[in-house]
Amino acid sequence: MNADTNILEIQGLAKDFAGHRVIADVSFGVKKGEVVFLLGPSGAGKSTVMRCMNYLESPSAGKVLFHGEPVDTSEHGLNLYRRRVGMVFQHFNLFANLSILDNITLAPTSCGLMKHAEARELALQLLRRIGLEDKAHAYPSQLSGGQKQRVAIVRALAMNPEVLLFDEPTSALDPEMVGEVENLMRELANDGMTMLVVSHDIDFAMELANRIIFLADGKLVADASPAILKNSDNPRIRDFLSLR
Amino acid sequence: MKEYNCKKILLLLLASMLCLFTACGEKAENRQKLIMVTNATFPPYEFYQGSKIVGIDADMVREIARRNNLELIIEDMAFDSVIAAVQTGKADVAASGITVTEDRKKQIDFTTSYVKADQVIIVRDGSDINGAESLKGRRIGVQHGTTGDTYVTANIGEPDRFQDGALAVASLATGKIDAVVLDSAPAQEHVARNAGLHILPTSLASEEYAMAIRKNRPELLLMFNKTLMDMQLDGTMAAITAKYQGEKTKEHTATQSSGIGSWLAHSFEINFVKDGRWKYLLNGFLVTIEISFCAVLMGLAIGFLVAVIRSTHDQTGRHTVLNILCHLYLTVVRGTPVVVQLLIIYFVIFAAVDVSKVLVAIVAFGVNSGAYVAEIIRSGIMAVDHGQMEAGRSLGLSYGSTMRSVILPQAFKNVLPALGNEFIVLLKETSVCGYIALQDLTKGGDIIRSQTYDAFLPLIAVALIYLIVVVCLSQLLKKLEIHLKKNER
Repeated sequence: MNADTNILEIQGLAKDFAGHRVIADVSFGVKKGEVVFLLGPSGAGKSTVMRCMNYLESPSAGKVLFHGEPVDTSEHGLNLYRRRVGMVFQHFNLFANLSILDNITLAPTSCGLMKHAEARELALQLLRRIGLEDKAHAYPSQLSGGQKQRVAIVRALAMNPEVLLFDEPTSALDPEMVGEVENLMRELANDGMTMLVVSHDIDFAMELANRIIFLADGKLVADASPAILKNSDNPRIRDFLSLR
Repeated sequence: MKEYNCKKILLLLLASMLCLFTACGEKAENRQKLIMVTNATFPPYEFYQGSKIVGIDADMVREIARRNNLELIIEDMAFDSVIAAVQTGKADVAASGITVTEDRKKQIDFTTSYVKADQVIIVRDGSDINGAESLKGRRIGVQHGTTGDTYVTANIGEPDRFQDGALAVASLATGKIDAVVLDSAPAQEHVARNAGLHILPTSLASEEYAMAIRKNRPELLLMFNKTLMDMQLDGTMAAITAKYQGEKTKEHTATQSSGIGSWLAHSFEINFVKDGRWKYLLNGFLVTIEISFCAVLMGLAIGFLVAVIRSTHDQTGRHTVLNILCHLYLTVVRGTPVVVQLLIIYFVIFAAVDVSKVLVAIVAFGVNSGAYVAEIIRSGIMAVDHGQMEAGRSLGLSYGSTMRSVILPQAFKNVLPALGNEFIVLLKETSVCGYIALQDLTKGGDIIRSQTYDAFLPLIAVALIYLIVVVCLSQLLKKLEIHLKKNER
C-alpha cells in the first residue's frame, strides 16, 4: 500500500440535528502512522465529526472512505468496519457487568477473531503492558479514572485496529491522572499507531500531533502542522491558542 | 436479518407451546368418560369426605355412570361456573343441587328432577326476623349464583353474595349479616353445626333439583332420564337420599365454653388432623408452587422478548410490526383483571380442547405476568448508560450481541427488586385458581372450611403459608441481589 494514501478519509461531511446544520462540508484524511488532532472551541463539532466517522452518528451528507473505498453501511458491513477502527470514549464506557479481563476478551471472542484462551493470553499481556495485571479480575467500579481509561485503550487495541479514534480521552479525568493516559498515548504514537484525537489539551496536541485540524462552528478552519498553526494569523486560532 | 431472527424465535415459542398443549391433551382412553362438574361445598348434596367428593348428587351420578359402564370424573368448581362448563362442553353433566328455572332451561337441558327442595331463611337466635316480609331492608347472605340469590335479588333486594354457603353462615354467626337464604337440606346441616342459629319455619319458595346437560345431546339426556327412573323404581334413589339425610355430623359441637386453649386444640384437630385434612393444604401448596414457578419462568421469557423488541424499536426504529403487536399485548393484558383472563383462557380459548387445568393456569398467569415483567425489564434497559451500547458497537459487536452480553445483564440487576415484587404479586394472584376448579392453597383452605364450618383456623393457616413462602422468596432474591452486586462498590 502506498504510504501516502489515506487510511481514513471524510469528504464533504455534514450533520444536521433537528433541522439545524451543526457540521458543514468537512473534509480531511488520516494517513498510516499519522497522529492527527482535532482541535477547536467547545461546540465546534469535533466529537460529532469523530462519531460520524464510525457511524455512531449517521452523517447527513458526505462520504467516509476507508482505504479509499466508501464504508459499507449495512449492519454487517459496519460491524466489520468498526472492528478495524477502534474508539476510546471520554467516559471510558467499560462494560460495568464484566471483569477487566472479560472487558478486553469479549469483543475478540464474540467476533470470532480468537479462541478464548488466546484472547485471555493477549488481554493479560496488554494488562501487563499498562501495569494493571493484578486488576484482571476486578470490576470497572473498583478502578480509578486513569486506570479505567488505560483499560479502555487496551480493550480497543485487543481488536488489533488499523486506526484508533480518541474522543476527549482525558477530559473526564482528575488532573493527576491525565499523565498516565497521555503517556500510554505517547507510547502508541511512538509504536506507529495511526491515531485521530479530539482534545482540548493544546500542549499535548502541539507535542504529539503530526497534523492538527482546527474546527470552529462546524466548519474546517485549518489543516496544518503544529508549527504552522502556531504562527497562524487567523484570529479564531490565535484566540484559541492564547487560552493555554 | 434481525427481524427474521425475532420472528423465528416467536414461531418456535408458539410451536413448542402448542406441542405442550397437545401432549397434555392426550390421555389413555379405554372406557368412555363422563365428566361431571359440581361445587362441592353443598352438603348433603356434594361435599368432600377425605379427598373424595360424596353426597346425594355425587353418589347418584356415580351410580348412573356405573350402570352405563362409563368412567366418571368429578370436577369441583365455583357454583357460578358449573353451568358454563356444561354449556361450553368442558363437562358432560352438572349435578350440583341445581334448581330448575326457566332462565336456566334456555342455556341447558334438565334431566327429570330427583329432589324437591325449599329455600329457607337462617337467622340468629333472638333475631326479630320472622318471615319473608321482615327481610326487606336487612342484610341477607346468599351463595352466589344459586336460586336463593336469584330469589332474593328479584323479590327483596341486593344480597351479599358469597362463594359458598359456609361463608354466608359464618358471616351470619359473627353478626356481619342478618339472615341467610339457602336450600333447606344444606341449611339444616349448617344450623346443626353452628350454635345459636335456627331456620324459620316458613320457607320462601319450593323448587326442584335436576342435573344439567348440554343442549343438543338427546342421547345423553335420554340415558340419564332412563337410569334415574330405574333408580327411583328399584329404591336406589331413596337409599342414597336416606344415607345422607340421616348423617348429621356432630364434630363441631364442642363450643368455646371450655376455654380458649382446649377450643384451639379441638379446632386444630377438626380442621387439620381429622380425615387427613392437612393434605388439602399440602396438595394445594404444591399446586400453588407449581403454577407460580412455571408462570414466573414463562413470564420472564415473554417479558425479556417483549422488552427487547420494544427497546430495539425505540432505539433503532426497527421491528415496527412486532412493536405494535407487543404494544397491543401489553394494553390488553394490563387492561384486564387476571381472573377474567384466566376464565377467558379456560372457557373460551381452550373451550374445545381437553388440556390440564394446571397448564391453563400456568399459561394465564405466565401471559399476564409477562406484560408486567416486560415493562419492568424495559425500564431496566433504559436505565443502562447509553455509552455501554456505543462501546459495544464501536468494538464491532452486533446490536444483539451487545444487548445479550452487556445491556441485559445490567438491566436485570437494575430491576431485580421490582422483579421480586412482581413474583410475589404473581404468587398471591394464583389464589384465584379456584375459579377454574383447581385446588390450589386458597381452595384447599376453602374445602376445609366447607367441611368444618369453621372460618378462623383454615384462613389463618392459609395466610401463614403464603406469608412463609413470600418471606423465603424475598430472602432468596436478597441473596441473588447481593451476589450480583459483588462487582460494585
